[in-house]
Amino acid sequence: MNLSFFDQFSSPSLLGIPLILISMVFPALLLPSLDNRWITNRLSTLQLWFINLVTKQLMMPLDKKGHKWALILTSLMIFLLLINLLGLLPYTFTPTTQLSMNLALAFPLWLATLLTGLRNQPSASLAHLLPEGTPTPLIPALILIETTSLLIRPLALGVRLTANLTAGHLLIQLISTATTALFSTMPAVSLLTFLVLFLLTILEVAVAMIQAYVFVLLLSLYLQENI
Amino acid sequence: MLSRLVLRAAPAALRALPPPVAVGVLHTTRPLHTTQQSLAPVPPLPEKGGEVRHGLIPEEFFQFLYPKTGVTGPYMLGTGLLLYLLSKEIYVVNHETAAAACILTVIVYAIKKFGPQVAAFADKLNEEKMASALAMKNDTIQTLQTAIEEEKKEQWRAEGHSYLFDAKRNNIAMLLEANYRERLLTVYSEVKKRLDYQVALQNLKRQKEQDHMIQWVEKNVVQSITPQQQKESIAKCILDLKALSKSAHATV
Repeated sequence: MNLSFFDQFSSPSLLGIPLILISMVFPALLLPSLDNRWITNRLSTLQLWFINLVTKQLMMPLDKKGHKWALILTSLMIFLLLINLLGLLPYTFTPTTQLSMNLALAFPLWLATLLTGLRNQPSASLAHLLPEGTPTPLIPALILIETTSLLIRPLALGVRLTANLTAGHLLIQLISTATTALFSTMPAVSLLTFLVLFLLTILEVAVAMIQAYVFVLLLSLYLQENI
Repeated sequence: MLSRLVLRAAPAALRALPPPVAVGVLHTTRPLHTTQQSLAPVPPLPEKGGEVRHGLIPEEFFQFLYPKTGVTGPYMLGTGLLLYLLSKEIYVVNHETAAAACILTVIVYAIKKFGPQVAAFADKLNEEKMASALAMKNDTIQTLQTAIEEEKKEQWRAEGHSYLFDAKRNNIAMLLEANYRERLLTVYSEVKKRLDYQVALQNLKRQKEQDHMIQWVEKNVVQSITPQQQKESIAKCILDLKALSKSAHATV
């Protein structure tokens, strides 16, 4: 089929039925389900080990009140990781390239951390708006700046994820188009481009994992400030 | 009515399926309420998954085609299918093909290079789990065996108690005997002391009487000596002395 550069980023639909829900839910089907066995197969053992590792890492800086967030943060991490990695396969759709989805993830979670902080310890969370040790004349300006930085956090979270993945996918598409187009006329240059593509793919794998981790890590940091 | 038949026949049919499929069917149909709720006892899953060739195609496929087409059959099928799709442009070579080649290279390389390590790691995690449980079990068995040994020793000790009690009894009897003898000796010495006192008293009395009598006799004798007798005795003494001095002179 003849693809344009937009096809990868358009929300998939089949005969008018939107498939976006399936594409978001599908990665969960790839994970082995809980089996009630004591010694599980390798995949289940590795999954358990990985989830333990992630949860411990995320929950270490938080005190007991923050442990309520363990489930949502860990599942968010696994969700983003799987979606990002599966998007690198050919002819797949990556839901995290859609700004709508990333903002829908970032905004409520960030707002939840903010409201938790304002509700439980209002003066402490407002105190974060002024870093320690600022010289007195700078205080009004700094408060405005910090407030802006606070309010822009959800946008930053969402746009960071979207931009990274979209840019990566777009680059892969462009360079592979170049490779395919050059293949018939200048095979040597095409091979060089293919090498670039190879390195870019490795980078994209790393970026996919790192972006998922960064998203969840920043949310846990915002939680630490406010819990 | 037919559904009732299906429901009654379902467990047997379910058990007849290979175990992974049976468990999968049960899990799927449970929310739909079309099978009984449990299939216990659940048959154990096989230890290893099915054999797979080239990481993708199950071995059963090759075995399926082997009687008719021999060993190269599936490969011919695959190649022919691929060439058919390419030549008829059912699969169009576009930019995704290059991207696919890249990502598939990366995946295959990663699996080949890190696969055994990851598998060994997963196996190690399971082994550690089992080893810790086994260690616990062995420790408990060891503790119980030590307890049995201790109990046996205590029983042996209890058997020896009769000897211990005999020795103690002898000991006490000897102590009592020694004490008795001691007290006997004390009694004897006390009695002897009193009797000695009485004897000494009697001796003293007799001595005193004797002395007194001698004194009285002497006194009376001295009183009875008249002056005449005194002169005569003195003269006799002088004569005796002279005689003696003479004999003494002579010897010297």
